[in-house]
Amino acid sequence: MNEMIKELTTMFSFENVKWDAVWEATYETLYMTVVATAFTFIFGIILGIILFLASKSEVKASKPVYGVTAFLVNLFRAIPFIILIILLIPFTKVLMGTIMGPNGAIPALIIGSAPFYARLVEIGLKEIDKGVIEAAESMGAGTWTIIWKVLLPESMPALISGITVTAIMLVGSTAIAGVIGAGGLGNLAYMVGFTRNQSDVTLVATIVILIIVFIIQIAGDFFSKAVDKR
Amino acid sequence: MIDIRNVTKIFKTKSSDIQAVDDVSMNVTQGEIFGVIGYSGAGKSTLIRLLNGLELPSSGDVVIGEDVISKMSKPDLRKKRQKVSMIFQHFNLLWSRTVAENISFPLEIAGVPKKERQKRVQELVELVGLTGREDNYPSQLSGGQKQRVGIARALSNEPKVLLCDEATSALDPETTDEVLDLLVKIRDEMNLTIVLITHEMHVIRKICDRGAVMENGRIVETGPVLKLFQNPEHSVTKRFVKDDINDEETALSFDEVRELFPTSQILKFGFVGSQSKAPIVSQVVKKYDLDLNILSGNIKRTNNESYGHLYVAIDVDDDTLERLKTELSDHDVTVEVEDK
Ligand SMILES: Nc1ncnc2c1ncn2[C@@H]1O[C@H](COP(=O)(O)OP(=O)(O)OP(=O)(O)O)[C@@H](O)[C@H]1O
Ligand SMILES: [Mg+2]
Repeated sequence: MNEMIKELTTMFSFENVKWDAVWEATYETLYMTVVATAFTFIFGIILGIILFLASKSEVKASKPVYGVTAFLVNLFRAIPFIILIILLIPFTKVLMGTIMGPNGAIPALIIGSAPFYARLVEIGLKEIDKGVIEAAESMGAGTWTIIWKVLLPESMPALISGITVTAIMLVGSTAIAGVIGAGGLGNLAYMVGFTRNQSDVTLVATIVILIIVFIIQIAGDFFSKAVDKR
Repeated sequence: MIDIRNVTKIFKTKSSDIQAVDDVSMNVTQGEIFGVIGYSGAGKSTLIRLLNGLELPSSGDVVIGEDVISKMSKPDLRKKRQKVSMIFQHFNLLWSRTVAENISFPLEIAGVPKKERQKRVQELVELVGLTGREDNYPSQLSGGQKQRVGIARALSNEPKVLLCDEATSALDPETTDEVLDLLVKIRDEMNLTIVLITHEMHVIRKICDRGAVMENGRIVETGPVLKLFQNPEHSVTKRFVKDDINDEETALSFDEVRELFPTSQILKFGFVGSQSKAPIVSQVVKKYDLDLNILSGNIKRTNNESYGHLYVAIDVDDDTLERLKTELSDHDVTVEVEDK
């Protein structure tokens, strides 16, 4: 009983918290999240569009394209993130020149989340009224026009709510990456909070992560609503 | 303008082959409004989609103007579609675009510069009567207004041909009439050729010049609209015509009349055009000093002529009846004796 009260007092005393370290970690988490989300958005949309077009196209070649893309997407989605980081170490080293720090985590973050987002994009595209796509075809639109002027704008609310979910997932992934040396709030919570038994630091890291997640959610909801004119 | 030659379309599905269009030939002349009617699954949509190459025929040719649609290269076909535009039952507007942006869409596809696009959009908004609604989104419009946007959008590249796939089927009767009037107006103003498909006979009656009736992928009857209504030959046509004038109730009351006046004959007079306005029946009836009991009557207008019929119960001997028939048919009034 006494033990527990002691724990709680330390936790809420914030006596061990070094605020500049917290800022530094917050910055790293934000940096990893923003960069990874941006690339996930781009790659996810590209993959999602490939999946969507290949699944509905009548061209013979589309079947293998769909098969290969769907296989890769499912594969990378199935690998647990922590293992993916380790698996990608050689690749990361070549690409980023380091495997440590925020930059060392970014390739794994993107490769881990882009397939997930691609599936959300595909679902969003499938929800577009087929008649609208056909109307565009009947006006003489080519594939690129249909992608830019029909598929993307007409699925924008789904694309935004999808990237919101993905970004929140990425915040979680940065924390995991943090444990094995990527920096950020996860690193702070683990290296300082856990190993030095300073639970007040863990609490601060948790609160900051929650604030980041809430902000992402609120912003995502706002934008997804703002573009939805249905 | 449009020539469909022995076109067949077979959809291959896993379980079976579906023959949606079966050896159809027809042609539509420049400036005409041509209607295709048929029940659900008759193959109407498939037929109209063959016209702009959204479907390709399994055999046969579709020719519009000088181009064989079924044999064009993809880029040529896309170009051609700017001149063969289409409107849809469910409008198929982009919800993410305003009225003006929707109308502008085909112009963007055609690569028209922005300045010109804006000017053209403004003209079209006025043409379809949507001034003031340019910045609304489709979700803020009624069905009739959405179809007006659909029409404006279809007209933006100044097409030669307009294809209408059940364009009024989602609208109430009054809005349907407004949209039909608009179609006639743009045909006259822009010298369009219009092909429309529908399952509503009054749409054909109101605006079409010629029509075709489809059943199981085949065209079973075709001809000028007045002829289809006045003298339908195929059973499907008859059913459509009957539905349009709603004969059921009349048939019912015949039985009652027969009970009340067992000696009377029930006759059907049929008229076309100017006869439906002249008092011929009345003159003849006076001349033979007959008593007649009017059971029901009907005059319908097609796009350029009226036709109608009159059911009467009349007490005549066979001799007078024959003379009556001759006299009336001299005035182009047909007489049919309804079977007991
Ligand atoms: N893409 C397709 N694949 C397989 N079968 C199809 C396809 N499109 C149409 N069909 C079939 O072709 C037949 C004709 O369909 P179509 O849509 O042309 O009929 P319709 O006359 O337009 O009917 P409705 O009035 O219900 O719209 C139907 O049996 C339909 O199931
Ligand atoms: Mg149809």
